[in-house]
Amino acid sequence: MAPTPDPNSVGGGAKQDEATLKVPSKDPKKKDEKKDEDLSEEDLELKQNLELYVERVQDPNPDLQKAALESMRQEIRASTSSMTSVPKPLKFLRPHYGTLKAFHETMADSDLKKYLSDILSVLALTMSAEGERESLSFRLIGTEGDIGSWGHEYVRNLAGEIAQEYTKRQSEEASIDDLMELVQQIVAFHMKHNAETEAVDLLMDVEDLDLLLEHVDKTNFKRTCNYLTSAAKYLPGPDDMLVLDISYMIYMKFEEYPNALQIALFLDNAQYVKQVFTSCTDLLKKKQFCYMIARHGITFDLDDEMVADDDDREALQDIVNNTKLSEGYLTLARDIEVMEAKTPEDIYKAHLLDGRASSGASADSARQNLAATFVNAFVNAGFGQDKLMTVPSDSTTGSSGNWLFKNKEHGKTSAAASLGMIQLWDVDSGLSQLDKYFHSNDNPIIAGALLGVGIVNCGIKNDCDPALALLGDYIDKEDSSVRIGAIMGLGISYAGSQNDQIRSKLSPILNDAKAPLDVIAFASLSLGMIYVGSCNEEVAQSIIFALMDRSEAELGDALTRFLPLGLGLLYLGKQESVEATAEVSKTFNEKIRKYCDMTLLSCAYAGTGNVLKVQDLLAQCGEHLEKGDIHQGPAVLGLAMVAMSEELGVDMEIRSLERMLQYGEQNIRRAVPLALGLLCISNPKVTVMDTLSRLSHDTDSEVAMAAIISLGLIGAGTNNARIAGMLRNLSSYYYKDANLLFCVRIAQGLVHMGKGLLTLSPFHSERFLLSPTALAGIVTLLHACLDMKPIILGKYHYVLYFLVLAMQPRMMLTVDENLKPLSVPVRVGQAVDVVGQAGRPKTITGFQTHSTPVLLAAGERAELATDKYIPLSPILEGFIILKENPDYREE
Amino acid sequence: MLTVSVKWQKKVFESIEVDTLQPPYVFKAQLYDLSGVPPERQKIMVKGGLLKDDADWSTLGLKNGQKLMMMGTADEILKAPENGPVFMEDLPEEEQAANLGYSAGLVNLGNTCYMNSTMQCLKSVPELKSELSNYQSARTKDVDQTSHMLTVATRELFSELDKSVKAVAPMPFWMVLQKKYPQFAQLHNGNHMQQDAEECWTQMLYTLSQSLKPPSPTEDPDAVKALFGLNLRSRLHCQESSEESSETESVFSLKCHISHEVNHLHEGLKHGLKGELEKTSPALGRTAVYIKESLIDSLPRYLTVQFVRFFWKRESNQKAKILRKVDYPLELDVYDLCSEDLRKKLKAPRQKLRDIEGQKLGLQASAKSSSKGDDVKMTDAEGSSNGSGELSSGDQPGGASSHMTGIYDLVSVLTHKGRSADSGHYVSWVKQESGKWVQYDDANTSLQREEDITKLSGGGDWHMAYIVMYKARLISM
Repeated sequence: MAPTPDPNSVGGGAKQDEATLKVPSKDPKKKDEKKDEDLSEEDLELKQNLELYVERVQDPNPDLQKAALESMRQEIRASTSSMTSVPKPLKFLRPHYGTLKAFHETMADSDLKKYLSDILSVLALTMSAEGERESLSFRLIGTEGDIGSWGHEYVRNLAGEIAQEYTKRQSEEASIDDLMELVQQIVAFHMKHNAETEAVDLLMDVEDLDLLLEHVDKTNFKRTCNYLTSAAKYLPGPDDMLVLDISYMIYMKFEEYPNALQIALFLDNAQYVKQVFTSCTDLLKKKQFCYMIARHGITFDLDDEMVADDDDREALQDIVNNTKLSEGYLTLARDIEVMEAKTPEDIYKAHLLDGRASSGASADSARQNLAATFVNAFVNAGFGQDKLMTVPSDSTTGSSGNWLFKNKEHGKTSAAASLGMIQLWDVDSGLSQLDKYFHSNDNPIIAGALLGVGIVNCGIKNDCDPALALLGDYIDKEDSSVRIGAIMGLGISYAGSQNDQIRSKLSPILNDAKAPLDVIAFASLSLGMIYVGSCNEEVAQSIIFALMDRSEAELGDALTRFLPLGLGLLYLGKQESVEATAEVSKTFNEKIRKYCDMTLLSCAYAGTGNVLKVQDLLAQCGEHLEKGDIHQGPAVLGLAMVAMSEELGVDMEIRSLERMLQYGEQNIRRAVPLALGLLCISNPKVTVMDTLSRLSHDTDSEVAMAAIISLGLIGAGTNNARIAGMLRNLSSYYYKDANLLFCVRIAQGLVHMGKGLLTLSPFHSERFLLSPTALAGIVTLLHACLDMKPIILGKYHYVLYFLVLAMQPRMMLTVDENLKPLSVPVRVGQAVDVVGQAGRPKTITGFQTHSTPVLLAAGERAELATDKYIPLSPILEGFIILKENPDYREE
Repeated sequence: MLTVSVKWQKKVFESIEVDTLQPPYVFKAQLYDLSGVPPERQKIMVKGGLLKDDADWSTLGLKNGQKLMMMGTADEILKAPENGPVFMEDLPEEEQAANLGYSAGLVNLGNTCYMNSTMQCLKSVPELKSELSNYQSARTKDVDQTSHMLTVATRELFSELDKSVKAVAPMPFWMVLQKKYPQFAQLHNGNHMQQDAEECWTQMLYTLSQSLKPPSPTEDPDAVKALFGLNLRSRLHCQESSEESSETESVFSLKCHISHEVNHLHEGLKHGLKGELEKTSPALGRTAVYIKESLIDSLPRYLTVQFVRFFWKRESNQKAKILRKVDYPLELDVYDLCSEDLRKKLKAPRQKLRDIEGQKLGLQASAKSSSKGDDVKMTDAEGSSNGSGELSSGDQPGGASSHMTGIYDLVSVLTHKGRSADSGHYVSWVKQESGKWVQYDDANTSLQREEDITKLSGGGDWHMAYIVMYKARLISM
């Protein structure tokens, strides 16, 4: 017999009656008869039995009633196992639902009535009209006890009705105790039956996630937490924090410390981080934690509560301080065999272009040499050797200085600083190589040396604080280029450290009436970096005063934008905390007010995926403004910043940006490529690549420049051949336009950044965590790109070095218990979303097996291909400590 | 006494004793012994800054066993090179232009692309430039005022183009041109009308040939004629009366007639040299159809070919355009268009050219393109184009050392895009001395590939060649 229930065969229920009205009257009868005839003997018997029970239930004799109810219950329970179709007993009982309901009302309170309530509650599953919640109301007056015996579908239905009832009662402020009791039962049932997601959903609906803690066990906590953390992305505040809190507690309960630490880092909760350390007793695991903290790029000091032993603590602090990053990176480079230094010409690959690019130029172009300086710096970043800056110095000719002097004036700053980039993370040799520049009497070179010191120390902490010691004295020098070099160097090396000593040095500059605007702008920016996401009141005050002190003319300067940006960085990702400052910003001069507003809003909600803020920003972009207003640029960037946190949001944002390209004014169109660059940073999506490629030929050169830089950003560190080809063609297309060509060169440098070993993505740990300092670096560059001419194409090109904050090796390096590199086979493939999926789905697809160290591209995930070792962190990224598996047996 | 360890570069100096009673300078001297870094270049990181020579140890809170960090090298201090590099951005404009390898574009003054492209093509003839520079500024009698002015304006324009990197607005030249040829000043709806580039070309050459005539009428023809002029010997033949006559004429360009059979420049040229005309026949006493067959009697240094793409369409009352694709080669051989006398003269040089080429191919099989090698061997002939445009007398056609071979190389193409002569857009494509092709689209200049140049042969709505200019390949005997 066909399993689908025929609506015509049932008599009861208002809805069904309505449904049959349209059918010709002859039809139902005919079908009814036919149905009856079609029934097998078995079914016919069941039907007759059930009809008998229904009659008996209405019998005045309680014994008979009870027996009938019991039998009915048996029948229903016996058949609820499969829910692919409406079970037969339920189907046959449907015509009698009305009768039974009516009889139920006439019954006096008794156990029997409760029994009948149970049965009615189950029947209501298929019969109850939408929104009546009869199933729930019968359940509440029925017998207490095992609801699970009625089947999974019944429980699910109940859960849904509870959620509705809960909202209703909340609005009426009625008691919910009876509901909560039921919730307890349901959650317990779900958690036992692999339906963690449903349990979590119900608890979220009734706002009582704490219950979860009682019900999770070893078998299901991982799936539960996985669902919780993924759901957090789509929840409005403060629910998301709550959900993560619960998931942290569950992880802690089951001693799954690496995951707990991840969440603690996400919540930016130092207390939780500390708790992870104090709860864990395994020193090796703690080392792994330190690697995770180091990757996140926050400053974290271990105390003796966390690690008791002094030597151990020192070793751990070394890891947190990232002192081994350079070593690991070079291990990776050697393994992949890319140690050989590359020249800018290797990147340009001009020989692949047919004689278009003019080659015969005899004189050096300062602009082109500057571009080559940057390309050289980005491509050889962290390798410690290159072919321009670190060529073995020939004492007779002093050739090492030659390239430096091929740069003009302020170009020398970037050239000197590029040495810092080449020596990135290797403080010891970096500082000694930069030393020679300190003795120069050329101010731009000194400025570059100072900046270089900052870059070398980026993300690396050292007890001796070399950066502060070296740069501190130069902050108040006469020459503003030297001052900027020192200030920017401090900002880069101490980003996120919240170092009070530096604040006391930099804050006075902000409110110094005699300080030039560019110095103030960079001081504000550096303070923003150092106190990124800290909501520090005092820094905010200083920047606000500095903004208020600016004259009308100064507010029009392109560099002024760094003041609101510095302010915004203080609140990066801190959501509501920004409100007080945003209120103050309303009192600013109208020239900067809206710019400041947009910057604050976008920074505060960066990486939150907050849909309401996206709408706010979209509304700002929808206006068609008079000329001169510049606040729509940061609004467009803000859209990307808010939406960048998760894949769906990114895709939606890419689409809405496409609209803006069509309908937006020129100032919006100029920012759109940059926003696209941020959304797909180091993640060359083909669609975005095509859009940017189209925009790179835009008639508006500012749009084209932004698109070219963004092509570099989305391909950053990927060596993507398609983007490289596009850029090569652009270099011949724009060979005559010095500005555009400069942008193309920079983009080429970015694509081959670190010879393809680096990423700029601020997200890490399977795209869950967002490194605030990395985002700060990128956002600063993007804001600078909103007005290229005076900044990047002018004499402040070194803002490009802010990208160093986001540069991280995109590697997975396995180390043994002594932290020595250990090569093991791993499978690397496209990550699969396994949230809420049944069973044990594969987490990667289309994988290849390599041996570590390996590179991980955007959206890729690794898993060990051997049982010989156990990784100490479930997230296989960056440094992973492997422990030998005691149960492993050689085959 | 405290002991500290000092980290320097990759080395660590363990357990150095610090005498806290002595000034830090003493400590630095200790480090000098170890590292070889002179004390004044040592930077030692302590809490809160660098260690100063006269600092007080007690205020620094030095602890026993503390790790210090030292920065500093004993390397030589960086010295700026005595002669810093010269940056292109700093150079005066002329030198930047020289660096670029080709000259600037011309600003469109309102439908003046026909003039711009014509001038760019003419400018590519170095001999013309040198003739112009020799031109006396004072007017000679036999040149009228406006022609003189136009010649001077041309000279000024060429020199200005050579000097600047940015596009030049040819305003003075444009004014003079209008004055000399008022038809170019025609207005339509208040705007200057688009004109036929060929007309401009012809008029310019005519004017220049007038004004550049040597002052004393010697045997030498005028310079322009020597460069561009070619003599045609025509045989007129009347089929009705079997009359025959011959005449010679001197023209500045060959016409490439385009009919249904013409697919290639060579065919078009042949076609153009054969024509019918009606003429009064003295024998018949009435007009009769004569067949005119022309052959080239003398070859110019620069052979100009006009594609007759425009014809007057009576129905629509406008100059219509033939879009037919007519291929043209990068290397043109006109031998079979020459008269018997000329062919005889060409024989020896052609043989020699073939020998040289054969020799080269034999010597180095890899060198496929012979034209490049010729530049080297035939120094005399090509010297003029490689030099800055000065023309030595020896290079004159028919001079002692160099001889025509009848083989020509493409040097510039003037194209038209659009459907009618008085509308659309003219662009010129010029081969530079470096061998690179440059497209001059008014103010915009861009490098082009050689294979793209031959793609301008028409057959669509893309730029199509209207006037092409070939340069003779000379050989020294």
